[in-house]
Amino acid sequence: MLGRRLGIGPLILPGAVWLALFFLVPLAFIAAVSFGTHDRFGRVLFDALTLDNYRRAFAPTFIPTISRSIYYAGMTTILSIAIGYPVAFWISRYGGRNKALLLILVMLPFWTSYLIRTYAWMIILRDNGVVNSILHGLGITGEPIILLNTDLAVILGMTYGFLPFAILPLFVSIDRLDEALVSAARDLYANGRSAFIHVILPLTMPGIIAASLLTFIPAIGDYVTPDLLGGAQTTTVAKVVQTLFLSGRDWPQGSALGFILMAVTIIGTFAAVRSLRAEVLS
Amino acid sequence: MTNDYDGSKVDLERFLVRYLAEERMTRRQLLQRISVVGAAVALAPIIAACATGGASATPATSSAPPTVGPTVGPTVSTVPTATPEPTPLPTPEAELHIWNYADYMGEGVIPSFEKKYKVKVSTDFFDTYEGMYARVTAGQTGYDITFPASTDIPGLVTIGKIQPLDLSLIPNRVNLGAEWANPGYDPGNTHSMPYMWWTTGVAYDTARIKETPTSWTALWDARWSGHIAMLDDQREAFAAALIQLKFSANTVDEAQLDQALTLLKQQHPLVRIYSVEDQTYMAGGDIWIGHAWGSDIYTVQQKKPSVEFYIPEEGSVRGSDAAVILDGAKSPVAANLFINHLLDAHVSAENSNYIGYMGPNEAARQFISKDLLDTPWINPDKAIVAKLQELLDLGLDLDKYSTRWTELKAGI
Repeated sequence: MLGRRLGIGPLILPGAVWLALFFLVPLAFIAAVSFGTHDRFGRVLFDALTLDNYRRAFAPTFIPTISRSIYYAGMTTILSIAIGYPVAFWISRYGGRNKALLLILVMLPFWTSYLIRTYAWMIILRDNGVVNSILHGLGITGEPIILLNTDLAVILGMTYGFLPFAILPLFVSIDRLDEALVSAARDLYANGRSAFIHVILPLTMPGIIAASLLTFIPAIGDYVTPDLLGGAQTTTVAKVVQTLFLSGRDWPQGSALGFILMAVTIIGTFAAVRSLRAEVLS
Repeated sequence: MTNDYDGSKVDLERFLVRYLAEERMTRRQLLQRISVVGAAVALAPIIAACATGGASATPATSSAPPTVGPTVGPTVSTVPTATPEPTPLPTPEAELHIWNYADYMGEGVIPSFEKKYKVKVSTDFFDTYEGMYARVTAGQTGYDITFPASTDIPGLVTIGKIQPLDLSLIPNRVNLGAEWANPGYDPGNTHSMPYMWWTTGVAYDTARIKETPTSWTALWDARWSGHIAMLDDQREAFAAALIQLKFSANTVDEAQLDQALTLLKQQHPLVRIYSVEDQTYMAGGDIWIGHAWGSDIYTVQQKKPSVEFYIPEEGSVRGSDAAVILDGAKSPVAANLFINHLLDAHVSAENSNYIGYMGPNEAARQFISKDLLDTPWINPDKAIVAKLQELLDLGLDLDKYSTRWTELKAGI
């Protein structure tokens, strides 16, 4: 037992140090700040620790922005899986020799900055942008329809941004799927649809859950996309946190809100991982 | 006046994006052409230029910050003198690190300083003012010079984040106009030298809006619903409402702020975006009428002449910023010399001509392009200036604005 402990200790040390330094220390800092107050210059004070920031975070003002963030992240996750699953399936089944190339193509957008790609969406979606020009040119619309700065634009932009994060884990789980099990189902008179529902889908569920986590977690804290593609009606909690930190000069309130957002995410993640484990064990 | 996504990489990206989107070279060439014309005009009787400059266009003093005391200052001769060199000239350090807004300094300003004093100057850009402010208040930044809003200067002095200037190295301060020579926010200019000042108002696209609005209420006009932009700046947005209600733009009265919030909530469904990218949105076409900073719109006009701007008749907001030397600056001598350089009449005029802002420099006026001097919202006359308020540092009362601003944005 002792020997095993000594053997594993050095191996997990780098990871533990990394986690402590870049995750736990900043986290502890945010946690500490969230119980503080601030002075007139925006500096954080710790002489009177308080729960006020958390009390205020549950005020009706913050609820709509938190729920809007959850809505955007949820829609993004659903769309990413809905689009990513067929893509991953197709690459796995029909990619043949070109699988690696196709996967590189999925990753290709990462070679350009996310900000530039989001700006490109602004050019596509704006009133005199690509979409409206085509619609107008075809005589479908007279006046431009407002696409940019709407819910639609935010969900579209986030789905575009996070889709590769969904495709990769889906591909891994689909690619590992034993083709013989599908053949067996077909031999037992399952049609394509029920083979998919009763065999393929359950076996690739770990991939779906992993893809959901990898999409939902960054999406709920995403600040750039809602800020650039969204508008006056699409304020998310991430934007509110930014405003509180900067023009509000209120780090404690911003930290409390950020901490709540993180708690929501962590609880969601644990729930998902637990169901994942149950799925794998069953 | 730009958005904030951290990291120096973003500066390059933003430059690229802007370059592609707004064809900045065209603007630059245009501005250069304008400044050449302006200089040619200025070469005509210099005496006349001095006379008109001194007589008419000094910004009025009546809108000076009430809580920091009225602006008082000795009248300084506006006749430009040859720049006197400090004697004996101390040796400046080898490097100088400047932290500024992007596109907020003339292109030749740094090269001419580097050449004169053999100092290597590096400039980084901050993405938002508040991001810069937060880092300055939090600790050392590694920069020598930055440009805070004048209203934040008393606070930064109090908490020791900016160091006193060495006025013996800044003889060009004689060029400052009367209002700026001894401003209420920094009596005696001991810690800061004024850099540029600006106005806030309303920009609109005459291609879309076939009338001539003059009031803040145009931003509340349901006919432009879905095409209205407001500055994503809680103080500016509340000022737009408070001024309509005839309250002070610096009020901390809860009832008055509630009324302003009600007014902003009425506007909220009509608003397409809250953003500080006023140049981008007024040039883009989605926004027909927007809350904006005058100098930014002057720049937009070079590219898109259909955009107009006005200072609302009810009154509006003005602001200014100043060059300061940060606490812990490693190159204080070079920094003082650079601030002196900024106050040189030619350098200050080059800045104004390039970025479209008026500076505090009376001696520079004769070298500023006529086009800029004739733009009423860049160089407003005294009657207009009297209707402009500065947004003051409200200290902890800022929370009263933040809370309401969050409520407005949440859309409840």
